[in-house]
Amino acid sequence: MENLGIEIVNLHKKYDDVHAVQGIDLSIKKGEFYGLLGPNGAGKSTTINSITSLVKPTSGNIKILGKDIVSDFRYARSQVGIAAQELSNDWFFPLEDLLYYQAGFYGVTRKDAQQRIEYILEKLGLYEHRKKKMRMLSGGMKRRLQIAKALVHDPQILILDEPTAGVDVELRHDLWKYLKELHAEGKTILLTTHYIDEAELLCERVGIIDQGKLIVEDTVKNLKSMVNKSGIVIHTKDRGLNLDQLLDDFKPSITHNRIEILTKTPNIDLPKIILKLSENNVIIEDIQLPQASLEDVFLELTGRKIND
Amino acid sequence: MISNWVGFYTLSSREVMRFFSVWKQTIIPGVVTTLLYIFVFGVALENRISEIDGVSYKIYILPGLLMMNVITNATANAASSMLQMKLLQTLPELLITPLSSLELSLSFIIGGAVRGFVNGALILLICWLAGMPINNLFFTLLSIFLVSWSFASLGLLIGQLSDSWDQLALIQNFVITPFSFLGGIFYSIKMLPVWAMNISLVNPIFYAISTLRYATLGVADASFKSSFIFLVVFATLSTVAAVKTMQTGKKIRF
Repeated sequence: MENLGIEIVNLHKKYDDVHAVQGIDLSIKKGEFYGLLGPNGAGKSTTINSITSLVKPTSGNIKILGKDIVSDFRYARSQVGIAAQELSNDWFFPLEDLLYYQAGFYGVTRKDAQQRIEYILEKLGLYEHRKKKMRMLSGGMKRRLQIAKALVHDPQILILDEPTAGVDVELRHDLWKYLKELHAEGKTILLTTHYIDEAELLCERVGIIDQGKLIVEDTVKNLKSMVNKSGIVIHTKDRGLNLDQLLDDFKPSITHNRIEILTKTPNIDLPKIILKLSENNVIIEDIQLPQASLEDVFLELTGRKIND
Repeated sequence: MISNWVGFYTLSSREVMRFFSVWKQTIIPGVVTTLLYIFVFGVALENRISEIDGVSYKIYILPGLLMMNVITNATANAASSMLQMKLLQTLPELLITPLSSLELSLSFIIGGAVRGFVNGALILLICWLAGMPINNLFFTLLSIFLVSWSFASLGLLIGQLSDSWDQLALIQNFVITPFSFLGGIFYSIKMLPVWAMNISLVNPIFYAISTLRYATLGVADASFKSSFIFLVVFATLSTVAAVKTMQTGKKIRF
């Protein structure tokens, strides 16, 4: 398929007695922002490390931009940049040199890499630290350096394994902003995370992975609508009329002056409910529209919370 | 074959720059140790130990000391660079790049070989200043290079298969050092009982020392031709072993 950035077919990985990945199929379109969501140990890292050949799959095929990662490994690897979950360290070289080396490994000469490296250093707020060695960098700077390394060779596809794990709130927001920019530039991005809000905010499509299997994938919006939890909560001034009867069509659950209605289409139902209450002179004090989150989707599908 | 030339050059020069950046740890110690040996054996013990093959004892041991330094440095460089990258998590960043196993292996080997050779060349200069003759400079340098290359290959293999610094030290202390001492640094194997002499004949370090001793002093336990051929075969086999091990991805790709 021509328009696929990453294509994984029937991926299996067994470690001795653990079947870490159990037949995952994944197709990520060029230019898509895809999130792989799942609890720790679900098989996210094994899956993405299979793409970068750090993990040798037990069976299955993986293609990058239509080229097999084994038979065409030079092309496939040159198109992928990856920021691993584990922070790396180096005792010898200033971080600017580390970036030139990394670009060199991808076949980019020092001269050709210069402009891009300066741009990335600037963009990630590392320019003033470029002469420092890694032991002088804070954790946040190391994380940014790792993302810089993934970008030095200007890959079409960017894979980020838990990029904001252990990162403070401010840096997390900066990284999100930058990832959005990269996506707008046309990069295909695959992100793994166990932060629900991160996946909701950034990803066009999300796959939920649990115990080595991809249990569902869809747009964030569609996934949320799977769960009957999007609802409407209305507080009325007093109980007054027989609200049960009045709102019978919407199957409300009512306690004192609180009406809760579960619906997949709150935007359609809410005006009707307001109209009905107003016609019957019920005074509305407050309206809330609690949203289902991906957490609820996960809970519904697995019966567990994602970070349990 | 090598096709990512820029990548290959980059990693090779990184490996060389890595040890040059800490030259106080990687170059000076060998030089200092050799000077100490020359001082102790030359000044303090010279008159108490008799000549071997017509060469004064102080001079007789120099080719062996030189080779021991070359071997230690070449092995340590490739092994520790590989293990360090593994432990510091920089190895995955290298393994995901479009460098083939051959390109990766050769780059690490070059790093180790250059460190071994630089140490060897510096010590050769000191030995020469201390009065050691150099019969054939070309074969002297060539044998230093071959030994350096071979042990850098073995070092890479050891580094790839090790999980900790302890394991690496274990191999250095209980394999490399004993083999070096038993390879005839301080004696001619003709002085050994027959059984010990026969064991020495399968010790690669014996041939390394013998070749260099012949190229410099003109005397040796084994014929120059056979020990030189042994070194070439040994270098080839150790390179193949290192590259093949890298290709399996053992302990580095999971």
